Amino acid sequence: MFNFWKLVQNENMKIYRRPRTYVMLGIMFALMAAISIITYFVNDAHDASSWNMLYNEASIMFMLITVFTIVIASGSVADEFTSGTIKLLLIRPWTRSKILLSKYVAVLLYALGMVIAMLLFGFILNMVLFGYQDATASEVISPLVTGSIIAYMFQFSVLKYISLVVTTTLAFMLATVFRSGALAIGLSLFLILGVNTFVMLLATLDYKWIDYLLFIHLDLTQYLDHNPMREGMTLGFSFLVLAVYYAIFVGLAWYVFKKRDVAA
Amino acid sequence: MEQPIVQLQQVTKRIGKKTIINNLTLDLPLGEVFGFLGPNGSGKTTTIRMMVGLMAMTSGEIKIDGHSIRTEYQQAIRNVGAIVENPEMYKYLTGYQNLVHFARMIEGVTAERIQEVIALVGLEARIHDKVRTYSLGMRQRLGVAQAILHRPKLLILDEPTNGLDPAGIRELRDYLRQLSKEEGIAVFVSSHLLSEMELMCDRVAIIQNGKLIDVRTIKQEGHDALSNVNMLFEVDKPAEAIAVAAELGKDAFKEGDGIVLEANRDFVAAFNAKLVAEGVLVYGIRVQIKSLEDQFLEVTGGERIV
Repeated sequence: MFNFWKLVQNENMKIYRRPRTYVMLGIMFALMAAISIITYFVNDAHDASSWNMLYNEASIMFMLITVFTIVIASGSVADEFTSGTIKLLLIRPWTRSKILLSKYVAVLLYALGMVIAMLLFGFILNMVLFGYQDATASEVISPLVTGSIIAYMFQFSVLKYISLVVTTTLAFMLATVFRSGALAIGLSLFLILGVNTFVMLLATLDYKWIDYLLFIHLDLTQYLDHNPMREGMTLGFSFLVLAVYYAIFVGLAWYVFKKRDVAA
Repeated sequence: MEQPIVQLQQVTKRIGKKTIINNLTLDLPLGEVFGFLGPNGSGKTTTIRMMVGLMAMTSGEIKIDGHSIRTEYQQAIRNVGAIVENPEMYKYLTGYQNLVHFARMIEGVTAERIQEVIALVGLEARIHDKVRTYSLGMRQRLGVAQAILHRPKLLILDEPTNGLDPAGIRELRDYLRQLSKEEGIAVFVSSHLLSEMELMCDRVAIIQNGKLIDVRTIKQEGHDALSNVNMLFEVDKPAEAIAVAAELGKDAFKEGDGIVLEANRDFVAAFNAKLVAEGVLVYGIRVQIKSLEDQFLEVTGGERIV
C-alpha cells in the first residue's frame, strides 16, 4: 500500500501551518514562565524546589493541553465538514477509515508533542531559576510514594497522557458524529472539566454504577499517589473501564465516518 | 465499441420517502465533453456525489473504467478528478500547499507535474499566496488544478463556470475541449447555464426531478446555402405576409411581430422582393435557430420546480 505516512504528513501540515497552534504553545510557555518567575520573586530565599515547581506546573498544564488537544481534535474532523474540503479529501484512492486514522494519529502526535514540549520547557525553566536538586518522590510529592522523582514524573506523565488520549478520542468522536467543531469542543470541555468539579462528590456516593463512570477513572495518577477516589478500585480496573469507553468512542467515530453520506 | 469510461446503471437514490434520483442509466465514452443539464434541485449534484462515492446509492450501480464505485472504490476513484460544488480549499494554506496536499494522496504526482498544472491554469503569480486571499475565479482555477493533477481519465466538474469572468469561461471551455480531444479524457460538466453548455459540450443529458429526460448531441456545424432553415421576417403586417407566403406555396406562422417560415437562401431573397412589391414593410430578416434553451424548455415543459 502506498505510503500511509503521507496522509499523516498532510494532517500535520494542516495542524502546524495554522497560527493558532503556535498561539497555544505560546500561551502554555508564557503561563509556565509566569508561575515560575512570580514564585522566584515572591520567595526571597530562592529556595523553592525545582521539582516541586515542575510537578505543580505539569499538573496545571495537563489540563491546558487537554483543552488545546480537544480544540485540535475537534477541528481536525469538523473543520473539513464546515469548509467543505471533506469532499476533496474523500475522493482520493484511500478508504475513509485510513483518512480518519491519519487524522487521529496526527492529533495524538500533537498531544504527545505538547506534553514533551511542556516537560522539557518546565525542566529547563525551573532548573535555571531554582537549580538542580537531587530529590526523592516522597520528599516532593507525598510520604506515600517511593522512588526517584524522575521516575515518578515519568509515570505521572504517562498516566496523564493515557487520560489525555481517552479525552481526545471522545472529542474526536463527537466532532465526527456532529460535524460541528463548536459542539464537539463545548461538549467535551463540559464533560471533562465541568463534570470533574463534582466528580469528587459523586465518588462519595455509595452506588455500584458510579464505579463504571468514565470520570471516576480519568485521573489515573490517583493510583500513583496511592489515593484512589473510591475504596477498592485498582489501576487494572480503571484501565479496563477506560478501554471499554475508548473502544466505544473509536467504534462510533469509525462507523459514522465510514457510512455517512457527505452532503456538506 | 470501446468500453464507456462511466456507466450508470439504474441508479436510484431515496432519502426517506423522497426519490432524489430515479432509475438513471447513462454511459459516457472517452474523449467527449458531456453536459449534465437540469434546473436547480433536479439531482445533478446528488448524481455527481454518487459518482465519486460521497453518497451511497439506494440501488443500481456506477462503474468507472469498469470498476464499481461501491466494491472497488480505490481503483475506480483513481481515474477521477473532480470538483463537487464549490472549489473549497484549505484557506489557511497557500495554493501550492493545497496542491501538495492532494498530490501526496495519489501515487506518481511529481513536483514537476505540480508546476506544469499551475502553469496550465495560469496561477503562477499567486500560487504561494494563502488561498484566503484568492478571488472566486482563482479558487475555481485552483480547483481545476487539483482535479487534473493525477491525469484522470474522467474529469467531473460541478458548475465549473461559477464565478469566472467571460475570459476565464472561454479559457476553461477551450481547455476542456482540448483535454477531451487531445488527451482523450472524458469531461463531465454539470450546469444550469444552457448557453454555456451549448458552447462547451458534445452531448448533453437533460435531467429533471431525478429522471433522465433526454440525451442529445449538440450540432456544431453551420448551415449551408441550400438547406432549409427557419427564417424570421419582422414585418408590419404579419397577416398579409402570411398570405403572400401562401401564394408562393409556403406555410408560415405568426410569431411576435413577424412571421416564421422554412426557407433556403434563394427563397428568402425572392420572398423579400415579393413582400416589398406587395407593400409589406420588412424590418428585418434573420435565421431562427432553436437554441438549447428552447429545446430545454421544450422538453422540461418550462416547468417550475420551486
